[in-house]
Amino acid sequence: MEQILANGLYLGAQYALIALGLTLIFSLMNVLNFAHGQMYVFGGFVTYTVVAQFGLPFIVGLVASAAVLAVLGGLIEKFLFRPVIRRSKREESTMLLAAGIAFFLDAVILLLFGEKQRGVPKIVNGVFNWDMRIIMPYDRILIGILAITLIVSFILFMQYSRTGRAMRALAQDRMAAQLMGVDVDRYSMIGFALGAMLAGLVGGLLVTITGINLGMGGPTSVKAFLMIMIGGAGVISGAIAGGFILGMMESVGLTLLAAYGDITYLVIFATLMVFLAIRPQGLMGKPWG
Amino acid sequence: MTQTAPNPAQASGRKMLSFENVELYYDHVYALKGVSIELMEGETVALIGANGAGKSSILRAITGLRKIKSGQITYLGERLDGRPAADIVRRGIAMVPEGRRVFPLMSVKDNLLMGAFTRTDKAGIEQTLESVLTRFPRLRERFNQQASTLSGGEQQMMVIGRALMAKPRLLLLDEPSLGIAPKLVQDIARAIVAISRDEGVTVLLVEQNSRMALSISNRAYALSTGQVVLSGQSADLMHDERIKAAYLGGEL
Repeated sequence: MEQILANGLYLGAQYALIALGLTLIFSLMNVLNFAHGQMYVFGGFVTYTVVAQFGLPFIVGLVASAAVLAVLGGLIEKFLFRPVIRRSKREESTMLLAAGIAFFLDAVILLLFGEKQRGVPKIVNGVFNWDMRIIMPYDRILIGILAITLIVSFILFMQYSRTGRAMRALAQDRMAAQLMGVDVDRYSMIGFALGAMLAGLVGGLLVTITGINLGMGGPTSVKAFLMIMIGGAGVISGAIAGGFILGMMESVGLTLLAAYGDITYLVIFATLMVFLAIRPQGLMGKPWG
Repeated sequence: MTQTAPNPAQASGRKMLSFENVELYYDHVYALKGVSIELMEGETVALIGANGAGKSSILRAITGLRKIKSGQITYLGERLDGRPAADIVRRGIAMVPEGRRVFPLMSVKDNLLMGAFTRTDKAGIEQTLESVLTRFPRLRERFNQQASTLSGGEQQMMVIGRALMAKPRLLLLDEPSLGIAPKLVQDIARAIVAISRDEGVTVLLVEQNSRMALSISNRAYALSTGQVVLSGQSADLMHDERIKAAYLGGEL
């Protein structure tokens, strides 16, 4: 039981970080970023390149992932989403654009990093063992703690910094935020860069544990959307709740349902369908915020 | 309405804002058809008129939320139209939008701090915050509460306070009495008079409640279908037969 909880927490922290980025972009720009999983994969490969190819320390790789994805996200917002949002009144336009970017990033990743599964050498050795109740390698613990630290920093940043406050204002009432002097273009770009950066960071964290490959992008996007549907789109607390719930469900499922075959996600999808039929806005969902 | 008489025109004679022949369209429907108005520094000016007359469009044109099609808006001797909304706030123009538009999931504190978004002088912001909380003690009581939990009247006070946080020279108020309990309309009106007196701020007030608007303003423009149809001293307009018939309804 303790083992299941520990695994769930570890997984949930990674998932919550991915969902936070997705929900931030959605709440600021009303854009469903279907390319979020590809951004995660891209971040993983950047860390892989820096650590495994150039032989630099892991932390350098992580910072490089964050920086590269933030720049990439900023450019994507400025040169792709911004003009489309300006010209088109239909929401499908940005959805199609996001789907296009997902395919494009897949192609770029294939060109730059190839189709092979990649990983980096263990960053810490050894296994934590609490009386056979919780057994967890130290590197997983470290990555889990890093992820939780990032979540807490993100929340504090959104809550107490001037930039964070401006982004919340923009998400809650775009017009009022403009009247306060918030430059919508500038903060949409910052928000998109931040969202992409979070995805890249998770990629960098997880490449040390599970490795990374080209095919992980699409499924990760699907999982990210599951999380924000569970928690409620556009709400920070919802993204975190959704991430941890999905992490727990996977952890429980992989342990308890293993005997019946590979049906964890079948059960999760079925449960989610029932849940959404009863509460379509998700756990914490509100129209905005 | 004795306590809500307008401040005797403190107009310094310096021109603060002017519209020259401004036209504004929503898609292909005109909202303003050659509007020319003027505001002197320190004045309180009311825009009255029916729904859709173009009152709010004038405010939207000033704040840069809508681009004007032709004409010119001048603020303190400089061309204002065409500038981005954020720049206009920085120049000292703050607006209280129609329907309040609070940031519902933010605390009262964060809502007020958003008003000072363009300011960087920490000590000054602190000082303005203190003066806003002194002016509206209810906001101090509810300082850490979520804005959505406030009553309509409290929200209205909060968004007026939010606009004051920018330390504006020109305050634009769009329908501040809309959806407020009649008892509180008096309070809001009194607050507007007090603000223009204490802060020396110029006020442009848009109101469907013409009686209230005329009673707290120095001058007024009456609009109809995107044009100025009448203008003058508010005290005179209050007794003007045409205004009475069109906007004030029967004598109460």
